[in-house]
Amino acid sequence: MGLKQNLHKLKLKYEGKKMAPAFNALHTFLYSPNETTHSGAHIRAVDDLKRTMNTVIIALLPCLLFGIFNAGYQHYYAIAEAAGTAAQYRADGFFSTNFWNWDNFAIGAWTVLPLVIVSYGVGLLVEFIFAVIKGHEVEEGYLVTGMLVPLIVPIDIPLWMLAVAVVFGVVIGKEVFGGTGMNILNPALTIRAFLFFAYPTWMSGDKVWVHEAVERAGGPDAISGETILGSYAQNATTIPYDYSDMFLGFIPGSVGETSKILIIVGALFLIFTKIGSWRIIFSTLVGALVMGLIFNGVVDAGWIDDTSKFHGLMSVPFWQHLIIGSILFGAVYMATDPVTASQTNKGKWIYGFLIGFISIMIRVFNPAYPEGVFLAILLMNVFAPTIDHYVVQGNVKKRLKRLKVKTA
Amino acid sequence: MLEHIELFFKSIFIDNMVFATFLGMCSYLAVSKKVTTAVGLGAAVIFVLAVTVPLNWYLDQYILRDGALAWLGPEYADYDLSFLSFILFIATIATMVQLVEIVVEKFSPSLYNSLGIFLPLIAVNCAILGGSLFMQSRDIQSAGLALNYGISSGIGWFLAILAIAAIREKIRYSNVPAPLRGLGITFIITGLMAIGFMSFGGMLTGGDEDEGVASPTTESAVIKEDAKEEKTLEVASITNEKEN
Repeated sequence: MGLKQNLHKLKLKYEGKKMAPAFNALHTFLYSPNETTHSGAHIRAVDDLKRTMNTVIIALLPCLLFGIFNAGYQHYYAIAEAAGTAAQYRADGFFSTNFWNWDNFAIGAWTVLPLVIVSYGVGLLVEFIFAVIKGHEVEEGYLVTGMLVPLIVPIDIPLWMLAVAVVFGVVIGKEVFGGTGMNILNPALTIRAFLFFAYPTWMSGDKVWVHEAVERAGGPDAISGETILGSYAQNATTIPYDYSDMFLGFIPGSVGETSKILIIVGALFLIFTKIGSWRIIFSTLVGALVMGLIFNGVVDAGWIDDTSKFHGLMSVPFWQHLIIGSILFGAVYMATDPVTASQTNKGKWIYGFLIGFISIMIRVFNPAYPEGVFLAILLMNVFAPTIDHYVVQGNVKKRLKRLKVKTA
Repeated sequence: MLEHIELFFKSIFIDNMVFATFLGMCSYLAVSKKVTTAVGLGAAVIFVLAVTVPLNWYLDQYILRDGALAWLGPEYADYDLSFLSFILFIATIATMVQLVEIVVEKFSPSLYNSLGIFLPLIAVNCAILGGSLFMQSRDIQSAGLALNYGISSGIGWFLAILAIAAIREKIRYSNVPAPLRGLGITFIITGLMAIGFMSFGGMLTGGDEDEGVASPTTESAVIKEDAKEEKTLEVASITNEKEN
């Protein structure tokens, strides 16, 4: 416990000084604080906000690790595809040596880790500055956001863009509302939305998902990798990936969203530790399935033929919507954000259902944004307080009625 | 039928009065402190729009637009009175608002009191006049569609004020930095909400019914989207300035 004692001493030394919040943050990030409540009606538990955040980060680590290897895998796979030797390079099965090797790791570490470092560096810098100016403790809200951000951006996004977006997201998305726990929109999604609308060429298309594809475009060794949703949006009838690729995650996409099986593992972990709300996850998936079924029904009824722009995505089997794109990632890690989601249990069902429903709707109807999950979650963030308000009012009315029956 | 459904969703979500065109901001910002009041004002806006847009459609169709007076006789066929649009539209709106005010005062005095000055101010609410002017400039084809347009853009405005009222109730006890309290944070919230609503921007524009005109519409949609993006950027810069 030497480190802990030293940190505690440092904290005491700087107590009341300007930099006190910074040392306090370092201390409580690593260890539980020395001073606890002694009296009064408090529940004493060790899982404070930092522990909650750390749990989410643990749930995210498999996705990050997979994303690092996938970055390299997609890069070499695209090269092999351009050379016509893709079949040999293909990963077969989850433990394929074509996937888990040092070459892939080197590329991934070279591209993904800077994203993580920039995201945390810039974000925590802004947090520390705000904490020092306002004179309160550093809030831990950025810990999860900082891990989510690198996982939901394309691999080759220029680092300065990421830095600008992180500053925007943390300042406008969170700090102006008074910091952690007060924000209206999910900060990670605010950052992604900012990137998406400010630098659309770096956020969509068939060049951004594979490392070096942008640099090599137009040259003799050009490579590309279209996401599955992108191919479907262009009415492609066949896609070069099978279901196990989609489920295991050997597909192009944002860094951390591709591996569905690891997201499911993370989801089980979050539900088991009672940090993610199973109501939201479950109802989001139900909403997506319902919307997918409706679109399948429209296609089956023959109301739309294959000349239509929406036919490609509408005819995707409804269950397949869950394993392409980032709906699962969004449902597990984004929609369950306890601050911006609905707070009431009934509200959570409505909130989740509408997220799934609108995600698939945007995915199909909006050819400009083949990935609508993050926008759907932002939209429902906006309406979450409204849902809560009416759920609470409904309960108030119900109880008033019960009271009347009793007293009458 | 299809065009009715399309117009309905388009004017609620894609061309939302508040988040796409930033109209009706004054009452939107001022009366959004409590959900119940916001619902009252929103309902009043829906009603006024539902009445004035079709009325103004008739005015436009039979009096104002180029050659609209032809029904009086051939010698009137080349009159173009569209320069009178503003004054006639606003006259209709003012009359209707007076009517709504009398009705609300009679049937719901509590709502009348809580709305206060803002009910008469609906008369000069730009969302209402904007509804009629958009109806004119977007060349809405029938009175039924005009009614649909009025109701649905009213619902869009209603949703916007409902959402922001709930958010403002939620952040009432937030530790917002002192210079931003009140209107400042409300502007920022509005900008962020507009980002959420951008999910619908460009939706449905790649329509399949009119394959022949698909490319021009998508082009115009792209231009429109650009304009929209600029607008959001403007909002972002405004909020940035505020922030500084």
